[in-house]
Amino acid sequence: MKHTIYKEISLPQPPEQVWRAISNRAALADWMYPNDFEPRVGHRFSFHVPPKPEVGFDGLIVNCEVLECDPPNQLVFSWSAGGPVDNTQVSFRLEPDGEGTRLFLAHSGFDLSHPFGDQAFKGAGYGWAMMLGQLAKAIAGEASAGN
Amino acid sequence: MTIMPDCETDVFSAISHRARRRMLDLLTGAERPVSAIAAHFEMSRPAVSQHLRILLDAGLVRERRHGRERRYRLVPEQLSPVRDWIAHYDRFWEDHLQRLQNHLSTKNEE
Repeated sequence: MKHTIYKEISLPQPPEQVWRAISNRAALADWMYPNDFEPRVGHRFSFHVPPKPEVGFDGLIVNCEVLECDPPNQLVFSWSAGGPVDNTQVSFRLEPDGEGTRLFLAHSGFDLSHPFGDQAFKGAGYGWAMMLGQLAKAIAGEASAGN
Repeated sequence: MTIMPDCETDVFSAISHRARRRMLDLLTGAERPVSAIAAHFEMSRPAVSQHLRILLDAGLVRERRHGRERRYRLVPEQLSPVRDWIAHYDRFWEDHLQRLQNHLSTKNEE
């Protein structure tokens, strides 16, 4: 049983402008994390989620590879953050919507039936579980910092 | 924020074993006696019972006596901590798409 997260938003900006925001290193650093993205298929890059000691988050690295790059329509990259969040896929699909853009996000490949390979439990502590806990803390930290 | 209290890590470790995940799969559709569960595994009956005990302790299955046999059924709601990590990602993208919107509107003003 695989699980996919779907999100859909309307943006007032045209697809070309939204495309620049999702396919440019500096823009991605602004709304995602520092990265070494390049908009070409096969390029391997990573997002460096910085540590936040105040919420007990040690930081983490998400490893990615560009799988599809079709400006200004579709961008797909793999997303591996350790443990069962390995080789999941993030896809952005842009559709013109009047003057603006309809943005469809799908994050797929979460295996709900067997997400907990024996491998994930080897080593010190529940590595991936801690990582996910940390991720949640980072998100909570950002949300409260933003308010 | 406490993400994984002890009772939840029990659930995670309970399903960390391949045989126990298969047992949960077997119990997805129906309540089954231990003999029917054991028939799917090469391991000894005591070993099967030991795995079922771990699932019982984690609250993932319930046991019921039916005549002389014990029957097991899945308690699917106990798997909710397993789904919670998906919820983290759901919030993650909510938050980051908001940031994308902010990013775009800021660029617009420049």
